[in-house]
Order: sequence, then structure tokens, then C-alpha cells
Amino acid sequence: MTDTILDKEQKLVQLLEQTFKKLSGKVVRQRRVTVSVEKELVPSVLSYAKSQLGYIHLSHISCVDWPENNNFEIIYILWSPADKVQLFIKTLINRENPEIDNVDMIWKHANTYEREIREMYGIQFNGLVGAQEFILEDWDDMPPMRRDFDTVDYVDNNYTFRPGREDAGDVREEIIKRSGEDIPDFAKKYSRD
Amino acid sequence: MINDKNSKKIVDIIQDFSRRHSLFVLAYGTGCGAIEIPPTMTSRYDAERFGIRGMATPRQADLLLITGYLASKTLKRVIRAYEQMQDPKYVIGFGSCTINGGMYWDSYNTIKILSDYIPVDVYINGCMPRPEAVITGFIELQNLIKEGKANGAQKYKENLEWYRENQRKVIKDWKMPDYNW
Repeated sequence: MTDTILDKEQKLVQLLEQTFKKLSGKVVRQRRVTVSVEKELVPSVLSYAKSQLGYIHLSHISCVDWPENNNFEIIYILWSPADKVQLFIKTLINRENPEIDNVDMIWKHANTYEREIREMYGIQFNGLVGAQEFILEDWDDMPPMRRDFDTVDYVDNNYTFRPGREDAGDVREEIIKRSGEDIPDFAKKYSRD
Repeated sequence: MINDKNSKKIVDIIQDFSRRHSLFVLAYGTGCGAIEIPPTMTSRYDAERFGIRGMATPRQADLLLITGYLASKTLKRVIRAYEQMQDPKYVIGFGSCTINGGMYWDSYNTIKILSDYIPVDVYINGCMPRPEAVITGFIELQNLIKEGKANGAQKYKENLEWYRENQRKVIKDWKMPDYNW
């Protein structure tokens, strides 16, 4: 029974794996297929999916930071209005010298997503045209969406706080202290200790 | 009595009366608090009965409302708007984000204490303050004007160096015009 349900998804993976040798695909569930490729193959896989398979819409380009494996993962999310299948094309790039080809000749609006990723993760898109500054202004620190960027540390160095935040304790204890009431039984199981 | 500098002249009393009953708010919202302004201004809470109404440009406005969190990028625009405003001018900090960072206390791109960058006359706390609290803040400001204590603009002129120093910490690439008031 499941075979017939996932028919078009499995056919898509087969087709992609036949066309590109260094590609591994996986059917996640109905209407969702992920494909991992090497970064050199990305533009050709994207243009093949757009022109031959009917994945004419690029929904988003997403980026995940994996400092554990020293990798960035770029995910291109495509949508086919005919098949109604979402195709995730994933690629891993090295974290030390992150660069990848830009794809805004395939979809114009990829430019916006790429500029955002360039600013927030510091990934260089080869051949990307557009102003360096996109959302952040006068930023001279590490790209802020990287996971090893310590926001609390940055805030401590750049901003000051009014006194009063540091003694923020359990609100319930303070209420008991002030009103002399006891915590009702039903509330005790949600208590912090 | 006439030559006593500490006593208020009748002109000052009339001036303060008209100022506090015609507070024109710059129609400029930052953060999420701007959503509380439409109910405050429209028929249910009707802030216009206190003489409070919206105004289109900074040069015509008396009051700058900072409604909620202020990104470091927005701060640049707020300073420019504030410096363009004509004297007398007042600032109300609105919501807990302007007081001490609020829920954005660990964010890399929002400022934490508004009064480090521009002088604030009245703070309204809450996340978000309801229109009743907003109107209470307005009335508090009116009382301050009546007593002659809402002198944030004068404080800004006198301590401009200190404010500029704080502003330059956030706005690193300083390309701001100088207004000579």
C-alpha cells in the first residue's frame, strides 16, 4: 500500500540518482524528498530539477551551522506545483573557507537569500552581485548567526544594564514572602525544585 | 515678585498650559508597542480629549514615543528624528524594552537603556502597556510640564558630549548630519 502512496517520490529519487552519479536521495515522507549532493554539482542539479522535472519554484535557501563537524549545510527548498512535492537539496561546505557558487541566474530571487546568508553566516557566494551590507549596519564582529557567536558575551561587552536584573528569582517565592500565602497543591508540581 | 527669577511668570503659566494640552505625537513606531497606539488614539480611549494627536513630521511634533525595542539600526533614525524636532520636545519610553532591554536583553542588535542615548522624560512600563497605562504616562508628562520638570531637551543640549559618546558606541560608522539648534 505504501508503495503506491510514495510512488512519485521514489520515481523522483530514482531519476535524480540515475542522472547524477554522486547523489544520494531519500524519501522522508509523502511529498517530501531530500537529496544530498556535493557543492560542485548544486547548480546543475538545480537547473536540471527546474527545467526537466518541473520544480520551477525556489521556496527558500536555508543554512545550518554544524561546528561539531566543521561544516555549513546549505539547503535549497524547491516546490513542484504539478507534482506537489517539496524537494530539499542539501550540500555540505567546509567551515574554514566557506564558499559556494551562486545560483541567481537560475532563480533571480535567490539573490536575496544568498545575500542574507552571506551576511549572517559569512559564506562567500562566488559571482554574487549586490551590496555587502544587507540587514546589519556597521557590523564588525563575527557573523551573528554562527553558533559559536556568543550573544550574551557580545551584549556584556557592548551594552550596559540598569541594576535589578541579576536578582530575578522565582516569582512564586516572592509572592509567598509578600503575601504570607502558601503555594496551592496543584501549583507545587510545576515548581522549579 | 516681578524680578524674582525663580517664580513663574504669567506668560510661562500660559505657555505651559498650552504646551501640555497640545502634545503632538510623531507618528513613528518602533517595535511591537506601536500596536497599542491605534486603540489609544481612536474612539474607545480617545487620547485626543487630552490634546494628544498624531503628527506627520518630526519638525511639527512635540513628543517622540519610543514604542518598544529599539534596534541599533533604528536608533540612528530615532536620533535623527529627535534632533530635527523643535523645542520644546519630550520623549516617552514605552514598554520594558526601553527601560532595561526587556525580553531582548541578550539580543546583539537592540539597545538596552534608552536614556543612555536620548533623554527620556517619562517611562511607561509593561510588556506591552495597555492604553490606560499609556494615557497615565501622558498625564504624568503633562504634570511634569506643569511643574516645569520636563526639561529633557535642555539636558540633551548640556550633556551632548556624553550622549554622543554613547551613541557612537552603537553607531560605529558615524555619518550623521549636525543640526544647529
